[in-house]
Amino acid sequence: MDPLRSYLGRILLEEITPVVMVLSTPLAEAACRKNGLSFVDMLSPFSLFKKIDVPVRTASEVPYRLQMFKIRMVYASDVRKEDCEVADEKIKPVVSEANEKALPDLLSDPPQAEDVLGKPEAELCPLWIKKFNRELMRTLSFSEHETFDHPVACLLVVSSMDKEPVNKFVDLFNTNQLPSLLNEGIMDPQILKHYLVLHDQQEGPQDIAVNVLAEMRSTLGLNDCKLLCINSSTEAGGSNADNSWLPYKALVLNNHDGSCILSVDDLNEIKDFMQDFVSNHIIPYMEQKIRVLNQQVATTRKGFRNQIKNLWWRKRDDVPEAPNGPMYTFTSIESQIRVLGDFAFMLRDYELALSNYRLLATDYKLDKAWKRFAGVQEMSGLCYFILDQSRKDAEYCMENAFSTYLRIGSSGQRNATRCGLWWAEMLKTRGQYREASNVYFRVSNEEPSLHSAVLLEQAACCYLLCNPPMLRKYGFHLILAGNSYFVSDQKQHAVRVYRNALFVYKQNPWSYINNHVHFNIGRWYGVLGILDVAIKHLLEVIACSHQSLTTQNMFLNDFFHYVQSMGKKFDVYKLQLPVFNMSSLKVLHEDHRTYASHADVGVSESTWQELEEELIPSSSIVKTNWLDTQPMRKYKDSCICVAGEAVKLSVELKNPLQIPVAVSGISIICQLSSTLDALSSDVSGLDLDGGEDKVNTEPSISMLETDGDKFTLSKLDIVLGGGESKRVQLDVTPKVEGILKLVGIRWTLSESVVGYQYFEFNAQKKIKKGKRGPHRSWNNSLVVIKGLPKLTGSIDRMPTKAFAGDLKLLTLNLRNHSEYAVKGIKMKLSNPRFLIPGDSSDIGLKFPHCLKRHVQSESSVVSAKTMKDNFKSLLFAFPQDIEIQAGAALSWPIWFHAATPGNVSLYISLYYEMGSSSDIKYRTLRMHFNLEVLPSLDVSFSVSTSSSRLQEYIVRMDVMNKTPSESFVLHQLSCVGDKWAVSALAACSSINSVETVSENQAVSYFFKIKDCEADSCKEAESDSCTSDMALCPGSSTDLFDIARSPFVDFHHQERCRQVKMAKGPCSLLDFVLISKAVDNSSKPTPDFELLSHHTCHCSALSQNPIWWLMEGPRTISHDFSKSYCEANLQLVIHNSEAHKILVRVVTFDVIPEKTVHPHDSTSAQGGWYDVSLESDVKAISSSKSTHQEKRSSKSIPPYVWCSLSCAQIELQPDSCARVPLKVCIFAPGTYNFSNYELQWKVHLSEGPHVGENENRLSGGGLGYPFYVTVLQGV
Amino acid sequence: MIVCVAVVGHQNNPLYLQSFTEADDALKLHHIVHCSLDVIDERVSNPKRSAPTLNETFLGLLYPTENYKVYGYLTNTKVKFIMVTTDLDVKDADARNFFRKFHAAYVDAVSNPFHVPGKKIASRSFGARVSTIVKSFGSGTS
Repeated sequence: MDPLRSYLGRILLEEITPVVMVLSTPLAEAACRKNGLSFVDMLSPFSLFKKIDVPVRTASEVPYRLQMFKIRMVYASDVRKEDCEVADEKIKPVVSEANEKALPDLLSDPPQAEDVLGKPEAELCPLWIKKFNRELMRTLSFSEHETFDHPVACLLVVSSMDKEPVNKFVDLFNTNQLPSLLNEGIMDPQILKHYLVLHDQQEGPQDIAVNVLAEMRSTLGLNDCKLLCINSSTEAGGSNADNSWLPYKALVLNNHDGSCILSVDDLNEIKDFMQDFVSNHIIPYMEQKIRVLNQQVATTRKGFRNQIKNLWWRKRDDVPEAPNGPMYTFTSIESQIRVLGDFAFMLRDYELALSNYRLLATDYKLDKAWKRFAGVQEMSGLCYFILDQSRKDAEYCMENAFSTYLRIGSSGQRNATRCGLWWAEMLKTRGQYREASNVYFRVSNEEPSLHSAVLLEQAACCYLLCNPPMLRKYGFHLILAGNSYFVSDQKQHAVRVYRNALFVYKQNPWSYINNHVHFNIGRWYGVLGILDVAIKHLLEVIACSHQSLTTQNMFLNDFFHYVQSMGKKFDVYKLQLPVFNMSSLKVLHEDHRTYASHADVGVSESTWQELEEELIPSSSIVKTNWLDTQPMRKYKDSCICVAGEAVKLSVELKNPLQIPVAVSGISIICQLSSTLDALSSDVSGLDLDGGEDKVNTEPSISMLETDGDKFTLSKLDIVLGGGESKRVQLDVTPKVEGILKLVGIRWTLSESVVGYQYFEFNAQKKIKKGKRGPHRSWNNSLVVIKGLPKLTGSIDRMPTKAFAGDLKLLTLNLRNHSEYAVKGIKMKLSNPRFLIPGDSSDIGLKFPHCLKRHVQSESSVVSAKTMKDNFKSLLFAFPQDIEIQAGAALSWPIWFHAATPGNVSLYISLYYEMGSSSDIKYRTLRMHFNLEVLPSLDVSFSVSTSSSRLQEYIVRMDVMNKTPSESFVLHQLSCVGDKWAVSALAACSSINSVETVSENQAVSYFFKIKDCEADSCKEAESDSCTSDMALCPGSSTDLFDIARSPFVDFHHQERCRQVKMAKGPCSLLDFVLISKAVDNSSKPTPDFELLSHHTCHCSALSQNPIWWLMEGPRTISHDFSKSYCEANLQLVIHNSEAHKILVRVVTFDVIPEKTVHPHDSTSAQGGWYDVSLESDVKAISSSKSTHQEKRSSKSIPPYVWCSLSCAQIELQPDSCARVPLKVCIFAPGTYNFSNYELQWKVHLSEGPHVGENENRLSGGGLGYPFYVTVLQGV
Repeated sequence: MIVCVAVVGHQNNPLYLQSFTEADDALKLHHIVHCSLDVIDERVSNPKRSAPTLNETFLGLLYPTENYKVYGYLTNTKVKFIMVTTDLDVKDADARNFFRKFHAAYVDAVSNPFHVPGKKIASRSFGARVSTIVKSFGSGTS
């Protein structure tokens, strides 16, 4: 590519051109002013010659032709270096002008990556930027160290109306008024002069002008004087004249608004004048000057001799260091070389120019005239570029010039900028965009903010043009440019460049940058008054959870500020504040399943179904006739809800910010179409269209709001604290039948912004209603059916925490809110251990007095309620005649007993049928309670056989209070059933001291129980045997009747539950311990807390199938002087097994009992051993006995068994036998007749025997101690 | 002194960015790190420049800004480590050493079974380890 055709080439051709200084008289100017133009303005359109076709011959002999040529017409007063500030002020309008043009663009969408990347360079870098660059370069015009701005010629203009025009010419070229360049000797004042008489045709005939011209020619020279006539057209021809300007219009200044009285002839005359002026005067003058200067330079500087001389001369000259180097006048050879170079450059003899510049560069370098040196370097760089010879040299020169300019400080700053601009253009022409952008960036650092902004924008463009495009740098430089624009108060530009950078940050989660960009765009749009776009951008940043609190505050405040400035509520689709967690969305609608409270819905459907198994009729029963069910089938796909009943939608919303946010009016957006026919098409249609289309297709929110007569919506106002999440429940209550479509959610943020969000049904799997129905996939449509009766239910005073054993009478309240009656009420409870429905008679009874034993013991009540023996759940049918009328309520007692410690979920499902016919035959009311049962009293019983009496047992009750702070009063201990009687031990008939078990206290009680029904051993026992025993001193009269309804029912449940744990097969007995909580505080508790602990299947310690006891007199009085004493004893043996047993009794005399320890006996009698330690105890006892045996083996027994030493008896099941024994005693004393042994063998009856312990089948045991005191009788 | 270290995922998404200055210049550092990705991209796509060391993870000086020097490091999984320092004469060996330690810390952090690949590194122990590495870098050079 020809470098001259490149953009930089064109700039150079247009900018580095000969300057013609214009000096004009006021009258001449006035003539031009009639057209609204100055003289220069009038001529400048004709100063560009596209095809001048002039032959040129410079230093070389070969002529060449110039085609395009341009001269610059400048008033003499303008030929001066402008002040920097003034110049900058001139540039400002270029930028601000573009500002206004940018405005419409700002309303469109920001550009996308594809758009930007596809754009050619010209579009990326708009025209005004190029204009700006030129203006920036022009601020340096007419500098001292460069000569291409120095006037080449001078045009002196005098009006024909001026008096003494020839004298005027002399006055015009008065040195006082000439620019300083000429006066100060920087440039040669002997320049080409051209004299022009301007004649206004309207002022008079042309003759005057002709005369003046003649006079001028005679005095000033023949060729240098010209006559120019203007304003020849009449006023009427103004429109024609307008047209004649057309070819030059682009070049004419914009202020061409006045009437134009220049005719076509005038224009042609001007054109001819200019052509003549340039081709016949200026160019030949320059040619000539070049040749003269070249000659001069050749003689003084060219050649070996001159070079040596030059070096020597310069060396000798000790140049003082000055910022601008030494002063060079126009006569100095350096200035002449420079002029020669510049003239050659302007006449496009670049070879000549370059050789001179290079020559000059060394000189300036030696002189340390850095600014001039840089200027020369700059020009040689351009020459290299245009000659397209050495890229490296060109770049080197430019860089050298650039850094040199920078080095000399502020005076060279703008020069550095111009150099940089040229350099960058040069690099761009060669496709080195990266380097170009670097140059732009370096230049921008040196410039004030406005200029730097434009330069940075150009740097950004260069990054985009790189291959591959460096988008991130593009974005970054745009952001920098935007900031500079903003600083220099160019908001439109700031917004524009920020917008252009948006796409860079869009995809990547560089949230900090993204937020910054969006926030600033939004803010600046707001400042510009384009509020809707401002809000749109600010919306992107308001949900910034990662920013600091202050930043969040700032974002939010600005957002609300602009929203309020809008003056109206603002609808935002998918407003990010607060964040609605759509995956947490749950829709709760009640068809035949209704729920007592919100929490009940969370229970899995399978739990309910399992519970309701027996309760609800199977589906075949519901569909009495397939014709009836036809409409139902239609709804099969969709969910059903009932008119008048709220459909609840719960969703979680989260405030991502650290600032509290007020959200008001949260409600569902929904539609209710009342025609059933629309169902099929609507439902399918809605399923298909995705969330994206919805934005367009959905009617606006305001329209949806008007459906108020068809349904009512709940509105919820909440304040979300910083970072808080809340689950909200929204209701919609349809009022008429039809199809209810749940479309989305709307809410108002801080009373000013309305956010709305539609449900996305593509994500159906996510919000699949596993909870609602296992076979239904949820969609947004609900079929609304006719209103149905509905019961609401609750249990009064249902505890959430209770102590184990707590017994309460609760009330189940049912209320029918609808206008229809319900009947056939049934109830199923999941855990009858905890809840058992009472009788209708229980209503109004005073708890706990109703449980007290009444005088007339009505034991017939017992087991009035038949348990279904399904201890997992309990089905309870209310009496058939119970109907709950419309608006009526029903209360029913329910007994509560906290059976075991732990967390328990209680489920109740209530079934009821419709009084009137409707789409749904029945409904269920589901209730669910979570209960935490705390451990209270830990009660355990150990039963061991009494060794002193048959059919009597010693019971040890261990009570441990496991509560940390509660005390309990033991009230009553009861044995269940009539078989057993409980009484205190004779020794300690009063246990008053330990009636209260305080916290963490463990207490053991001992009781005696007696088998009242044991007929085999029924001895005269007339003393009162009751199954209840009061533990409290004063409570013996108000004992609770454990045979009454709640006790017996709960006990039954406990029995069923505890059966698995019980091991022993025989003699099972159940205890019920009733205790009362003692309130530690003095305040009387309104609730009387009654606790009942049921311990079932306690079996006696006795593991032996037989049970034996020695009977006989305890004291014998005998006169040993006569004979020895004979004592008759009886061994009573009882078979407690269900089989025959063979028992063998062996007595032996070996073990004597020499010493008697009364203490031993008592301890033995009261001996009690833990059941679990049974074997160990046995071992101990046996070892003890053997030990005794050994110890006393040598001594002679003081008594001997007589009558028999061995007896064998066969015992029938559950019977007693007595073996008579006789013992002979030889001396008075106390004797223990325990040295006998029993051995037994169980004869199993026929039939399978499972679970029998093998070692129980046979065994043996030593005798129990039996002490007899024999006294010496008189 | 190191002013900022960053981990950038293979899709050029920021995984970790920590500045070690008191000033509130997070945005600036974000921009610097973001821009340096362009340079890394360029280095990776034109491997001729770093031809002598084909499998070199250390990318060297990415670009000098006015006050900072930016160094880069590219792992086999195309995760980039970027370090911004105010030291004007950093020895390559120091930078290499720093990145080696930083890489080890990163590997340990992403080996955490609770770390989701491609998500921001939230591990506090990683942060602590990085700051010790950064501190040791400062002391090593001085």
